[in-house]
Parts: sequence; C-alpha cells; structure tokens
Amino acid sequence: MTTYIVRRLLVSLPVIFGILVAVFVITRLLPGDPCRALLGEKATEAACAAFNSRYGFDQPMPIQFLKYLQQVLTGDLGDSIRFGVPVTQLIVDRLPTTIELTAISLTIATFFGIKLGVRAATKRNSRTDVSTMIFANLGVSIPVFVLGLLLAYLFAVVLKGTPIALPPANRYTAGVIPTEIAVAWGLAGLQGPLRGLLDFISNMAIPNAILTLNPGNLLDAVKHLILPSVALATIPMAVIARITRSSLLDVLGSDYIRTARAKGLSEREVVSKHALRNALLPVATVVGLSLGGLLSGAVLTETIFGFAGIGRTISDAITARDYVVVQGVTVIVSVGYVVVNLIVDISYAYLDPRVRINS
Amino acid sequence: MNASAQTPFRRALRSFLEQRTARVGLALLLVLVTAALGADVFASYSPIDVLIDKEPGAIRLAGPCINALGCDGPQHIFGLDNNVRDVFARVLHGARLSLQVGFLTVGFAIVLGSLIGAVSGFVGGWVDNLFMRVMDVLLAFPSLLLAIAIVTVIGPGLINTQLAIGIVAIPIYARVMRASVLGLRDREFVAASRALGASEASILFRKILPNALTPSIVQGTLGIGGAILDVAALSFLGLGAQPPTAEWGSMIGGDRNLLFSSPHVVVFPGIAITMTVLAFNLVGDGLRDALDPRLQR
Repeated sequence: MTTYIVRRLLVSLPVIFGILVAVFVITRLLPGDPCRALLGEKATEAACAAFNSRYGFDQPMPIQFLKYLQQVLTGDLGDSIRFGVPVTQLIVDRLPTTIELTAISLTIATFFGIKLGVRAATKRNSRTDVSTMIFANLGVSIPVFVLGLLLAYLFAVVLKGTPIALPPANRYTAGVIPTEIAVAWGLAGLQGPLRGLLDFISNMAIPNAILTLNPGNLLDAVKHLILPSVALATIPMAVIARITRSSLLDVLGSDYIRTARAKGLSEREVVSKHALRNALLPVATVVGLSLGGLLSGAVLTETIFGFAGIGRTISDAITARDYVVVQGVTVIVSVGYVVVNLIVDISYAYLDPRVRINS
Repeated sequence: MNASAQTPFRRALRSFLEQRTARVGLALLLVLVTAALGADVFASYSPIDVLIDKEPGAIRLAGPCINALGCDGPQHIFGLDNNVRDVFARVLHGARLSLQVGFLTVGFAIVLGSLIGAVSGFVGGWVDNLFMRVMDVLLAFPSLLLAIAIVTVIGPGLINTQLAIGIVAIPIYARVMRASVLGLRDREFVAASRALGASEASILFRKILPNALTPSIVQGTLGIGGAILDVAALSFLGLGAQPPTAEWGSMIGGDRNLLFSSPHVVVFPGIAITMTVLAFNLVGDGLRDALDPRLQR
C-alpha cells in the first residue's frame, strides 16, 4: 500500500509541474504586451520599461519561468488588476463558498445517484427502471445553467408565497450577517495560521452558522443552498445512477450472487451485503471524476445564483479582463483537482486490492 | 435469417435499431437536422431582424402568439425577445449553428487526438511517454476552466471558443486511439504487411488506423453533445458567440435577467439545447452498444 501511495505521489508531481508550465505559457501568449494590458493603452515607453524591469518581463523566458515558479511555490499568485488585492486573498475569501457548494452537491449526487441506480437495477425493465433511466438521460443532457434558471423560476416565481418557495439568488438574505467564528468564540485577538483556518471555515455559511450556534442563519444558509446544489448535482447524479445500475446488473449476474441466493439469503441482503460492495468500485471512480465537472459547473451555478465563490470570481474576472485572477485561480483549482484525484485513487486502491497489485 | 449472411455493417445497424432509446435519439436527431436545414422555410422571420419598426404591434418580450390557438396577431410561436426578434427563428437558426459547432469541434479534437494517439501507441517508447504526459496535464484541468483560460487569452468569439473546447477534448480521443492501436499493432496482418515491405507510415495509416477507428467514432458521437453543451456554456458566459448571432447559450445568457418576467426567452432555447444533447447521447449510447463486441449477446 505504501509503495502504491509513493508511486502515485511521484506520478502527480510532473502533472502539477505541467499545469504550472501550461499556465505560464498561456500567460506569455497574451496578445499585446502585459505592460499596456495592466497600465492601460496610453502608458509611456518609459513607464513600460520601468514596469517590465519591475516585473521581470525584460528577462529571458527561462529566467522568467523560474521566477514564476518561485513566486507560485511561495504562495504568491500576483495581484488582481481590478481589485488590487493579492489573488491568494481572493481565493481565501471565496474558495470556501465553492467548496461548500461542491461538497454538498457531490453528497447529494452520490447518495441519490446510488439509490436510484440500485432501484433501477433490482427492478430491471420495470416502470421504475425505465423512468429512472429517462431521468438519467435527461439529467446528463440539460445544461446546468438552464436547469439552474428553471429551478429559480419555479421556486421563486411560480411557487412564491407557498411554504416551499426558495430564494433564487445570494448566499444569505439581505440583512443576515454571519459572525466570524473567531469573534464568536472570543478569539478575536488570535493571529497566524489557526486564525486563517478559522476565517476560512467562517466563510462557509453552514459550518459558520453551526459553529456560532445561530439557528436563524443556519436555516437561511440552507435555504439559499438548496437550488444551486440541486442544479449542480443533477448531472453527476444522473451519471452515478447509470453507472451504479450497469455495474450492479453486472455483479448480480455473477456466480457468487447465485450462491448467496441459493443459501437462502433474502434479496435485500444479497443486494446490500454482497452485490453492492463490489458494484460500488466503478462508482467510486466516477464520483472522483465528476469533481472536474462539478468545478466547471460551479462557475455557471455561482454566476446564476449570485454566489461570491471562486467560479463567480473567474467569470467576473473574464468580463473585467483580469488575467491575473483567471490564471491564479486556474492554477489553484487545477492543482486542487489533481490532489483530490490523488486521494480518490489512493482510497480506491485501499478499497480494491487488485488496483495496487496490478498497477 | 441466416446470421452469417449478414455483413458486419448490417448486423451493427440492426443491433442499433433494435434499441428503443437509440431509435428515439435518431428521431430527435432527424427533427433537429430538418429544423436546421429548413430554418429559412419554417421560420417566417430572420433570426437577427429587429421587428420594432417593421411590424405594427410588435412589442419587446411579447409572449408566444400562435394563430392555431386563437391568437390573431402576427404569429410568433416562441414569442419575441428583449430586442424584439422572433425567438422561433432564432431557435431554429441556433440549431444550424449548434450542429455545426458540435461536428466541427469534435472533428478537430478527433483528428488531432487520433493522430497523437496513433503515433503514440504505434511508436511507443519516449514519444509515447512524452505525448501521454502532455495529455495527462491537459486532463488534469477541469475542462471548462481550461477552456475559459484559453479563450481569455486568445479572445472571445465562436471560433476561438470551439478551438478551446476542441483542445480540451483532445486527450480523450488520443487515449481512445492509442488503446485501439496498441491492441492492433502486434496482430498478424500488421506483421504480414511489414513482411511485404510496407513502410511504417503506410502500415500505421493504411492498415492499422482504419481498423482502429470504431471506438473513436463512438466516443466522438458521445462527445458532440458534450461539445455543444460546453460551447453553449461559454456563450452563456459571454465568451462564445457574440450578439446578434442566434446561438442558444448566448440567447439564454443575454436575456437571463428577464427570466422572471418573460420565461419564454430562456425556456425555448433551453429545451432546444437539452433535446440536441439528449439526441447525440442516445445515438452515441446506441452506437456503442451496437458496435462493442463485448456487449453483443
């Protein structure tokens, strides 16, 4: 197992290096010179020369790349052109919202996806099966921005005034202000990484409301999260339902299941104790793979629902031509994606011994 | 019927048409192609014509008006949009654009990806290693994010968006083709060609490639739906098709703030995208089941 983890780690390093190279190349391919992009069209020659030497743009490419590496490795992703604040600060402020949204969506997708898939497989060709598969096919075909908008219309306009009406935008109702966890716990004077961690968690609405013991905020935060997370969860949920169904059907046809049935186990026990465990292995891979889609979908979901998350930050940065932010966020999210996939692979190897022996 | 008398093509076709979902997909696809080809015939308005001064009574965001249902004004089956354009005409012309976008984007990705994958699998060694590590890096990005980053650099526009989505899709086709080539390169017919003195390039492109295409075609059909979705998403964000082009994603993105008062401007293009993607997914699934020998009963 240790050998597998080490080998898997070693394979990830060149990929992360490759991401950095790719983003660096994309940066240097920017049309026009960076000076005029940042200082404006009317920047003088002298101002540009000073600018170029300040940021090292007059250096040879390899030197520039090494400098860039050094910056990234020391946690410096440059300053936002629009806001003038470090990109790292933007990420710390806004990533928590995205993590919260994607984590909840992935949970919904996995839980209901597996449930639907199992139901369809155990009642193969029944009406349940057919309707589940129709849902799954529609689910992977509807764009997240269309579904998001339709849900918002349904729950905020059509159902307005009913008990199940839900807010179509923002993380909180106007006027609801979360307390910082550090402040609520009487640790306002705290500094350093621990404070950073508390602030990071503080920016996730639901954990914040729980940790500051504020039931009013909790209800508000949950209400605002339902529509976006359902919109975002639909595609992966449909994919997971399909893969669970086909994988479980495969397993249910195998000999050891016949044996289990022959020794008189109830169908329920056969499915939940014997078949499902083996059938879930491919599902685990798909769950890991859907993270990329979730991160992509978060850009659209956050734009629609007005969440100040990392996806919204990117789409705003595009509109404002804030290249530094687009690049910095791309690096962080992609590296995060690699790391999460690494964790998925390792847990997969833990679940299925064949993986670590064969590779 | 005697099964051995059937050609592999006819057998695959039959197996494809036996699936109900594949037939549904094919029917949807036919509707789409008809809509796209006949857009000028079916829609009596131009997709970019602003009707405000041209047609008496045309008002901004007017809801659907269908003569057969008792509306006696000028017929606008899907209503009018924020710029007083006929939504029905825009949706039909959008079908034309989306089909083009899907085929072009996937075509680009398949050609480049297959070339990379074929060479990689056939040559092996350090070439294979280098190509596949580059593909790994491309796959390491969440796809839409990488496409967004590329478009921010090369500038917005429909062509650039297709290019970005195409680049992002290359690794999938490279991997599929590499796997097929690896499975074929040590077969007898390859050794036979080599013994007959065929050059390596001719072995790869004339002998191996034609036999290795099936999985790529299946993957490509499934990929068209995804490509249409991604291009629509970028257009929704304002990076793809620019106004006044009739493109579904940008129609929704442009008028999305009007959803609450005039849902028709979002609903109809939304249904159109969903139907298109669904059609390609169903046909792709059907093709896979019909052509994959492991799934043959």
